[in-house]
Amino acid sequence: MVKKKQNPLKIDFEKCVIEDKLLQIRKETDSTEPYLVKVWAIEINARSSKALIEFLRDDVQEKDPVSFLHLKRIKKSHRSGYLTVLVCSFELINEEVDFDELMANVKFDYLKLDEPIWVPIQGPGTKKLFMEWSAKYWPLIWRGNPNDQELNSYTFDMDKIKSVLQNITEKSRSLAANNHSKIPVVSAFVNPVDGEEIYMSDGREDGSELSHSCMRAIRQVAEQEQERRENALKTSGETETYLCLNFDVYTTHEPCSMCAMALIHSRIKRCIFIESMGKSGSLRPDSGDGYCIHDNRRLNSKYEVFQWIGDEFELPEIEPRVCC
Amino acid sequence: MEQRMKEMKPITGNDWQHMRTATKLARYALDHDETPVACIFVHTPTNQILAYGLNDTNKSLTGVAHAEFMGIAQIQRATGAHDREIYKDITLYVTVEPCIMCASALKQLGLRRVVFGCGNERFGGNGSILSIHSDESTAAANKYSSVPGLLRKEAILLLRYFYVRENERSPNPRVKAERKLDLETFPPMEWSRYVDRDEFMHCFGAENVRHFDDKTDLRDQVEWGLIDEPHDKVLELIQRQCDAFRLHTAKKFKS
Repeated sequence: MVKKKQNPLKIDFEKCVIEDKLLQIRKETDSTEPYLVKVWAIEINARSSKALIEFLRDDVQEKDPVSFLHLKRIKKSHRSGYLTVLVCSFELINEEVDFDELMANVKFDYLKLDEPIWVPIQGPGTKKLFMEWSAKYWPLIWRGNPNDQELNSYTFDMDKIKSVLQNITEKSRSLAANNHSKIPVVSAFVNPVDGEEIYMSDGREDGSELSHSCMRAIRQVAEQEQERRENALKTSGETETYLCLNFDVYTTHEPCSMCAMALIHSRIKRCIFIESMGKSGSLRPDSGDGYCIHDNRRLNSKYEVFQWIGDEFELPEIEPRVCC
Repeated sequence: MEQRMKEMKPITGNDWQHMRTATKLARYALDHDETPVACIFVHTPTNQILAYGLNDTNKSLTGVAHAEFMGIAQIQRATGAHDREIYKDITLYVTVEPCIMCASALKQLGLRRVVFGCGNERFGGNGSILSIHSDESTAAANKYSSVPGLLRKEAILLLRYFYVRENERSPNPRVKAERKLDLETFPPMEWSRYVDRDEFMHCFGAENVRHFDDKTDLRDQVEWGLIDEPHDKVLELIQRQCDAFRLHTAKKFKS
């Protein structure tokens, strides 16, 4: 990751806008209360810390779905000469017997804490909160605002983004003008492996109520992959496409709850849309019921969402209740 | 709320029977290497099964081939994709709460009633994570009633059978707890996520309200016959009912 100052992209970290054009969409998370998760903890003699660190590095760290990067692993115990250590999350190991099994072969003595420790799942946005949470829950490490880090780590090919958005805009306008479509929604799915772009429009007017452009594109990706696998003998060495893993999805209008969730199931990386759907949208916090389906902690899986806020792409209007 | 109560019919013997069929079909899925989740769509006025679905996420290469979508595709083939009239007469019986995507699809089609077994803790769209069935942003005019808890233990057990087997097959089994099969203990049933107390009494009778308060299952006994025996014939049986339904009624809907 480049340092914030060296990032060639213009990023407004306060407003969460990239190059004045792409607004990051996420659930308002400026909460002053952290989301806490349970962690298994032990106490060890300070002399054992080398063996402990090796154990954490070799047997635990990689496997744990919860990141500990914002947390100090070790703090001094009340007993002098002893340390309290976070071993792993309850997400990794839920049952005590399994924890005991994990610890069965360690090369140091330890004492299991009677109660698990609750720690914030993510670092806070400000230094002040960092101090408060460190005192209240568990010592944290200040690495700056976590969302700044995240924004800074993303990559954007602005020319490619503009060109795909231009394409879906033109297709949408043409559907409205030439076909008198009332639902001129168009999506593009871009395969990260070869950059191939799949374009799909809404199919409701000739078919099922559920033929939204995203659903059709997801099926199209699967069909092409099916075909490719059938012909795989001829052209070996190609990489398999798994679902829509790490795809970039571009869509003219903010997706509805069905499509937003289908994108979760499809494991896409990023969705960029142009027009908000104030009543039926399920990504923006102020759209519809404020679902932010791509950024719901309880759903285990997420994707990045950005809205194009420049005025380059003018789209036909759609009745605001229509699910896109 | 009153509107929801009106749509929310008391659970009858027919409902239990259809849930048994869906559960057998889930067992069938387990025996055929798929996630043990299954559903049937029943035409309520005639009490006939008109479509069914199994999960097909393993074999299809999409993450969206859930059981509900397979059933919807069957209905659309039978009645024509444009027909939306029929959905208001359909009840969906599904072993696991529909996910957010499926809950939204059912609502956009205008289906009026869903009955399910266990909640879907990871993706549920009828109360567990979101309540799409009664929300304002997804086709608000089509709010539908959703009743949980029929054959919940059986649905949970089938999923446990599946995960234990998957874990055994995995070259690198994750943790021991997932290798052990627990047949005895079940998480509390959080009825209030899905229905309120009045709705519960309306569906299951006031005499059963202790289950709502105690977060317990409607029935203590597990119907082992549904989940511990293969049900290889169930698909054929359902298929025959679907064919019969199409023969007798589909023409009417097509015209």
